[in-house]
Formats: sequence, C-alpha cells, structure tokens
Amino acid sequence: MILEIDNVELYFKNKTILNGIYLKAETGKVTGILGSNGCGKSCLLQIIFGSLKPKYKLVRIDSSPVLKPLYQTNIVKYLPQHALIPKNISLKHVFKFYEVDWIEFVEIFEEFYNYKTYKSTQLSGGQLRLIETYIVLKSPSKIVLLDEPFSHLAPLHIEKISAIIEEEKTQKAIIITDHYYRNIIDSSDDIYLLKNGATKLIENILELEDYKYLNVGSLT
Amino acid sequence: MQKLLTILAFYKPFVIWSFLVNIAITIVNPFIVPAIITKLMLTIFVWYFVNETNTRRKLIFYNNLGISSIKLFSVMFFIDIFITIGYLILIKEYI
Repeated sequence: MILEIDNVELYFKNKTILNGIYLKAETGKVTGILGSNGCGKSCLLQIIFGSLKPKYKLVRIDSSPVLKPLYQTNIVKYLPQHALIPKNISLKHVFKFYEVDWIEFVEIFEEFYNYKTYKSTQLSGGQLRLIETYIVLKSPSKIVLLDEPFSHLAPLHIEKISAIIEEEKTQKAIIITDHYYRNIIDSSDDIYLLKNGATKLIENILELEDYKYLNVGSLT
Repeated sequence: MQKLLTILAFYKPFVIWSFLVNIAITIVNPFIVPAIITKLMLTIFVWYFVNETNTRRKLIFYNNLGISSIKLFSVMFFIDIFITIGYLILIKEYI
C-alpha cells in the first residue's frame, strides 16, 4: 500500500505554514520527517490523519484520492505529541479497545506486569508515552503516524520501541517525526526534511548539514 | 460492539452531570419532550465547546478507532436520552 500526500496549503491567519508538500510512505518502509521547531511537522501528520483541515490537500492511497478524513477509513493510527489516553480509562480497557495483547506487552516490558488496572494518571510521563507508542504501533492498521515517539523515553525503551517499529513496518506504512534525529535516521528508510513549508527528500544524509538542519560535522 | 464500549467509556464522566440535569428537569418540568430538547441543547453545547477548544485533542483516542466526533456525540446523546426517558418514566410513578 502506498500513501501519498501533496498539494497541501496550510495557513494560520495570514502566515503560511505548509505550501509545497509531497510525501510518500509505503508498506515495508519507515518514512522519517525532520525539521526545526515550528516548521509544521505535527501539522502535516494531523493533516494526513484528518484531524486538521488545511485550505487544500490531496491524500491518495494506491493512487486513489481519499476524500474523507483518513481516520474515518479505520486504516490509520496516530500518536499525537500530547497525551493520547483519556484519564478515566484503565490500561486494561485501552488495550482491549485498541485490540492489543497485554500479555505480549508485559513480556517485552516486564516492569508493567502489575499495571493492568492502572489509569493514565497513575503513570509517569515516560511510562505513559511508552504505552501510547506501543498501542499505536501494535493496534491493527495499515498506516501508523508517530509524532515524537521517543520523547521522555529511557534509552533502553527507545531501543525496544525501535525494534518494534522495525517489526511492524513489514505490515504497515510508518511515518515518524522526532527531534532525536539520530533515532529517526537509524529507523527510517526514507527521510524528508521539512523546511520553509516544503518537503525535500533527503538522498544523502549529509544534505541535512547542507540545508542547515544540522551543524556541519554533526554526523561525523 | 467494541466501538459502543469505547463510546460508553467516553460517556462515563458525563453520567453524574447528566443525572444532576435529570434531577433539575424533574423539579422544573418532568416531561419527556422538554427533557429531550434540554439534553439535545446540552449535547450540542458540549460538542461545540470540545470542537472549538484544545479539548478536541482528547478525541484523537476515539478518532484512532474510526469514531468521528459527530458519531461520538450522537451516540452519547442517544444513550443519555434512553437513560433519561427510563428515569422520567420511573420517577413519574412516584410523583
């Protein structure tokens, strides 16, 4: 399955946020989006998901335009930058609603063994982020959108989540963005740089220095 | 069925408020039609409030399951009306 988005025009008041976007993601690949703060990475994910309505956009799946919000097709899962899980729902129910196996989860993250009846308010920011990232990755879908999945995560958990991303990409198209650029570079098969409201497909990782996303010498 | 359970989980925090409104309706005008109109107005108000503020972000949990905000609030309204009518029929037996 191939997801493409282009012809995006997003304005906040009179300020142009996105204009000149083309992004392609496909099953079997992780597509990374890099860009400085406020460049519109999160907006782009929200537009793909369908929760943010720009002036124009064209989303295509296998070359066919998708006219309704993508989330209504039930083939996409989105991890937003902010908290996802409502405060009043226990983890047991969250896993049930998202059709994710709790046993499989605690086999990977043993420290959560006794947390099944906990609610999100009883978890630390890092623990909550880990669970949210896990359910979004593991829940049945064809497209996964991850906005800063590595934020607040311990290095060991980042390794485990990266391994799960690698495993899930065989059945899903995954789009990921984060400020931990090394994790994005390591996890991604294709990388787009979002700058001045437009995307640029990065052919050579050193281009990130040329486009002044990274300081010269950062990658060596 | 799974979607209905998810919508019920969304409705849960509103139950106590709905019950308080039911008590107010019982005191002021304990008839079914005014009760439905009152609940419809309140549902539209909450839906508008959620859509126009940052609270909208909380709906992504439900959007991920293919449930749009209009579906979420419509089903919540019908569940609430079902409970309200049951409550009013029951309470009229004692008035």
